[in-house]
Amino acid sequence: MSQPLLSVRGLYKAFGKVVTARDLDIDFHPGQLTSIIGPNGAGKSTLINVLTGALPADQGRILFQGRDITGLPVHQRVQMGLCRSFQVVNVFPGLSVFHNVQIPVLALAGRGRRVLGSLAREQEARRETERILEMVGLADKASQPASALSHGDQRLLEVGIALAARPRLLFLDEPTAGMNPVERREILAGIQRLSRQGVTTFVIVEHDMDIVFSLSDRVIVLHRGDIICDGEPSAVQCDPQVRECYLGEEVL
Amino acid sequence: MLTSLVHVCLAGLSKGMFIWLVASGLTLIFGVLGVLNFAHGAFYMLGAYFCYTLLSLMADNFWLGLILGPLCVCAVGFVMERFFLRRVYHLELPYQLLLTFAFVLIFDDLVKMVWGAGSIGSPSVPGLSGSVPILGRLFPTYSLFIILVGPLVALGLWAMLERTWAGRIIRASASDREMASALGVRVPALFTAVFVFGTWLGAVGGGLAVPYVGLLTPGMGESIIIDAFVVAVIGGLGSLKGAFLGALIIGLLSSFGTSFIPTFDMFLTFILMAVVLLWRPQGFFGEAA
Amino acid sequence: MSRTWIGRLCWAAVLLGLLVVGLVGSRFVLYLAMRVMLLAIFALGYNLLFGRTGLLSFGHGAFYAGGAYGMALFYLHLNPDPLLGILVGVAVAALLALVIGFFCVRHTEIYFAMLTLAFGMMVFSLIWNLREITGGDDGLVGIGRDPVFGVISIARDGQFYFLVLLCFALTLWVVHRIRSSPFGLILAGIRENHQRSEFAGVAVKRYRLAAFVISGAFAGLSGALGAMLESNTDAFSAHWSHSAEPILVSLIGGIQTFSGPVVGSAVFVVLREVIERYTENWMLWFGLILLVIILGFRGGAMGAIERRLGGGES
Repeated sequence: MSQPLLSVRGLYKAFGKVVTARDLDIDFHPGQLTSIIGPNGAGKSTLINVLTGALPADQGRILFQGRDITGLPVHQRVQMGLCRSFQVVNVFPGLSVFHNVQIPVLALAGRGRRVLGSLAREQEARRETERILEMVGLADKASQPASALSHGDQRLLEVGIALAARPRLLFLDEPTAGMNPVERREILAGIQRLSRQGVTTFVIVEHDMDIVFSLSDRVIVLHRGDIICDGEPSAVQCDPQVRECYLGEEVL
Repeated sequence: MLTSLVHVCLAGLSKGMFIWLVASGLTLIFGVLGVLNFAHGAFYMLGAYFCYTLLSLMADNFWLGLILGPLCVCAVGFVMERFFLRRVYHLELPYQLLLTFAFVLIFDDLVKMVWGAGSIGSPSVPGLSGSVPILGRLFPTYSLFIILVGPLVALGLWAMLERTWAGRIIRASASDREMASALGVRVPALFTAVFVFGTWLGAVGGGLAVPYVGLLTPGMGESIIIDAFVVAVIGGLGSLKGAFLGALIIGLLSSFGTSFIPTFDMFLTFILMAVVLLWRPQGFFGEAA
Repeated sequence: MSRTWIGRLCWAAVLLGLLVVGLVGSRFVLYLAMRVMLLAIFALGYNLLFGRTGLLSFGHGAFYAGGAYGMALFYLHLNPDPLLGILVGVAVAALLALVIGFFCVRHTEIYFAMLTLAFGMMVFSLIWNLREITGGDDGLVGIGRDPVFGVISIARDGQFYFLVLLCFALTLWVVHRIRSSPFGLILAGIRENHQRSEFAGVAVKRYRLAAFVISGAFAGLSGALGAMLESNTDAFSAHWSHSAEPILVSLIGGIQTFSGPVVGSAVFVVLREVIERYTENWMLWFGLILLVIILGFRGGAMGAIERRLGGGES
């Protein structure tokens, strides 16, 4: 298989006595749409937080495209192409939808240092922003303040901001939470489409099993800080340990 | 040498106890309401002026003034919380800070209007006005009295918070407002009560300061509130234990500073505040975020 | 006609009006107008940090004083050139802001406010106590106004006025450029959501520090010009109560608008002058005004006007 995009080696993280990551070894490969599932408190969110730099790791190493990023701050990881979206809506509420997406575009292009330059003349950033708004279907709402959007649209914007950072690897933390079925189908179709294009590799944390098994190329099951199963969806679905500790009656 | 060291220590302790009286109310209010009250120094000042006036009205009975004066200030605190502060709890931090700052401006000028912009000489307290010899040098009795009062107030606060029903409610609300509310605590009323009580502590500090500072000036609240901020920050915002310790440290530091390195006396205080904020923003006793 | 053009016309009219004031105004009016402009320079810069980046500093008096004392010491001991002196003042303030800001931007909210208070008061205590250098509570006196480039006299207030006006116009231009630059947008993003900004690839602390230094430099410019205007420096300009002035001014005018700090400065200076004519108690009135703004008009004067006109700015 190709060189992994992100490699995690011996990752350990605990809060007091609660271990949320116990010596994890994971490789994420380019183009492989991976889902991370697990019951509440399994350590999914913590894993994302540690991998993206929001929380420091207690032990272990994180390699991104072969480079050790364990000690790097969040914004540098983002600039290297490792990004995430959030479980709860986490946008810039007072700014327009357009500006919401433009901020990461500018930051990635290194244009933010232009203290006296005119924002209106940033043609390239404008085109890129428009492209992303088109992609997530918010182009017609570009001038509205983000706080005026519906919840579903805010979730779309959330994904749009994450995509605007041109990630090679993008963690989506419950991207469909709080969406209605129509919006849900749209965004999933979008994710699948983008994933096939091969620019961005997606890793999704989800609760909805239908989504997980219809969408993913690979499923990782976490339980109390351990990986109890890792493989193709069909294999994971049949794994007795997973059924016992997590899926329970839902799948039976 | 030993004599002067002891005297510098005692002077520092008595100064620290005044800061503690102001900082205790400030800390209590911050701990429960989450508001850093710039106007707390104004309550100290109002306490002093009210006590002074009552003193001159009532045949110089200091103790009666000390009881009634702070009660008047409590009424002021009640109005401020009930009709103004309550409306900004949901707003961002700058608005809360600036609302209390507005009251600093208002109270300072009101005091100037009522009592004049100049300084007022304050009377001494019968029975506590003299000095006692300590290691061969005289030390004011009243300062010794203050050194006793400070820990008594601390003890009283501790007993109230740890041993009484009201204290338990206050502590519960300080740690989790929603939970307390769900358990049937009437949070708005509690906030008012805590604010008024904090006001009372500051005003008592002001009342006790009347014989100590010698002169009452309209700016007296402003200088002590900054000291109290420093103390509250050093001890950990919201921690009474920390405020007590912080007050002792700042009192002693400033007393030693004034005696030995007067040039950098004020500088020391603020560098200590900055260092604590950078190194341990939760202070000595505050809980880690 | 678009709103931007209306805005530009308004500013052109204001500057033209100020130019006319400079030509025909009485000494008193000139002095008042200069005080407004100096405070506006201070507040325009400050509001890049406060309104734009969302950080409440209680220490910017220190940078104002940095500019004033930097300029004054340079004038008294090294070189009487006024423009060089102003540049030195701005540089001193910016450097001071860089050092202090380096520590302060590690925190936000109340801890940031308390840290800036502590550092500001450190500067105040140094100015207050190092009498041999700073003159202590007397301040530094005898700051003259030598001719610019050795030929253009600015000794009289009527002449100095145009230097102040030039600096004010320059500040307006620079602050406007900053607000409508990519950098300015990222600052607004940090105010709205600093966590998300980091995950958008923004080095949040570095941007905060940049905003801090820029606002400090403008405070220094205001301070240097202030020292020249009054021909002395005041230790209390570093005190935290002076740091509260740009906050008040920004709030009165409206912290989310470009013109807010300017309008606020005019209201502040003029109202203070009027109130002081009738009573000694202008602080009381400002306290009351502040109460009304916080409880009822948090957008400030310009915020209210913009809402009337419909649409706001980001």
